[in-house]
Amino acid sequence: MNILAQLIVSGVVVGMIYGVIAFGYQLTFATSKTLNFGQGEALMLGALVGLTTINFLIGQQIGAFAAYLLMLPVVLAFGLMQGAVVEFLGVRQAIRTKSEAGWIMATIALGIIFKNLAENIWGRDALRFPSPLPEAALSFAGVRIQPMEICIVLGALALMIAVEIFNRRSIYGKAVVATANDRDAAGLMGINTRLVITFSYALSSMAAAFAGVLVAPVTLTGATMGAVLGLKAFAVAIIGGLSSGVGVVVGGLILGITENLTGYYISTGYKDVPGLVLLLLVLTFKPSGLFGSAAIKKV
Amino acid sequence: MLTIENLVAGYGKVQVLHGISLQVPQGRLVTLIGSNGAGKTTTLRALSGMIQPQSGTIHLGGRNIEGLPAYEITRRGMAHSPEGRRVFPTLPVTDNLLLGAFTRFTGMRPKGDTSADLDRMFELFPRLRERRTQLAGTLSGGEQQMLAMARALMLNPEVLLLDEPSMGLSPKLVEEVFATVARLKEQRMTMLLVEQFAAAALGVADYGYVMENGRISVHGPAEQLRNDSAVRDAYLGVAH
Repeated sequence: MNILAQLIVSGVVVGMIYGVIAFGYQLTFATSKTLNFGQGEALMLGALVGLTTINFLIGQQIGAFAAYLLMLPVVLAFGLMQGAVVEFLGVRQAIRTKSEAGWIMATIALGIIFKNLAENIWGRDALRFPSPLPEAALSFAGVRIQPMEICIVLGALALMIAVEIFNRRSIYGKAVVATANDRDAAGLMGINTRLVITFSYALSSMAAAFAGVLVAPVTLTGATMGAVLGLKAFAVAIIGGLSSGVGVVVGGLILGITENLTGYYISTGYKDVPGLVLLLLVLTFKPSGLFGSAAIKKV
Repeated sequence: MLTIENLVAGYGKVQVLHGISLQVPQGRLVTLIGSNGAGKTTTLRALSGMIQPQSGTIHLGGRNIEGLPAYEITRRGMAHSPEGRRVFPTLPVTDNLLLGAFTRFTGMRPKGDTSADLDRMFELFPRLRERRTQLAGTLSGGEQQMLAMARALMLNPEVLLLDEPSMGLSPKLVEEVFATVARLKEQRMTMLLVEQFAAAALGVADYGYVMENGRISVHGPAEQLRNDSAVRDAYLGVAH
């Protein structure tokens, strides 16, 4: 029983990371029907920039926890910038020329370039990210969880809720939703929809960079850390639906938990199978995702 | 206020407008009528920047606006209630209206009193007040039409373009829409109204243009067009 609970808790932590990255896919898909296949690399760059920043701050005799907090705005700003660059170099032309596949190739290519860049700057070895919190696991009724893992869950939820509140409350957030609803009509409101798309890319990469510094302290940090996460989050976005905020959280949890359960009860070799089977089932029976809805449209 | 000269526009290689010239003077209601496919909607789309004109000039308040993107033209005071309503279906009625005032909230146009204007819209369209928290996608066709008009008015526009506000509505609602247009006219709103209900449009407008195959065939004071035998036979027949 305890083992089951333990597996579920660990699954939730991994699942929330998948959820945040998938949330990033949603942000750009909503406004532009395109997404950044280099999302995993955005996460990796965020983690590595975070690593350099936090090591610098710790070198200035700042405590690990304070250094971590000070590092966050730097990483978030970097993520925003990196996402804007991806949109500008990889996506804008494709959207303008209404190219169906141009953005796919371009964002994959940019992802590879970012990975090579990271290997040259930070090396090929996995690096250790200083933990801002004690690494000793806490124990609740026999279920062990690291303080940083609790932060992952809370941080992921906080980010998604913050974006949701922005979208609902501020006029700029409403402009983003309007662009997602109907780009031409949003233009008639005086909204520069091209800028909104750039912004959604910036926000998407920011979410990934944030996920990067959330997982970094509990995993290894390095140029290859993003690829698998990015791919799994893509599966989550398909399972949950590219249009549903709840969907990515639930989809992330489903994938995270099934992976853990399969890894323990069957074999770690089959860890990825149930998630992929689920992906295939969803694509066959409900292509808009478990929580995706067909757009409401009245003409 | 709004002056168009030799406007040529279309979609891709298909040219729809073959040189349109028309004028909408300050505070006047001008109507553009004609049969389906004559190019009325295309004219409005070219005016508001939804499509880029191939040639010709568009002056709004003395400044050239042709070739500008839609959002720039909106920022200069052109509001467009487009064909098919195009409300934002996943947003509540109130948010749709606030987005109409996006440029005012973001300092691109004078802010004025946005909450008073919101109230004014609810007075003009009481149905919208009842439905204000409902998602726009769940409104009836008539309510969506009112929302599209109200959203355009929230710009506090210099010129209002209305594309077939009566489309798909019940006769009673059509009457209501025309009553609203008449009220806006009394308030000296500068308007260009595109309509298939030619008789009703000429009944409320100051001036009319008749479009045929992408060209203006006849134009003149609305009164005079109503009594023009050719216009009557073609557009004001029993079919309407």
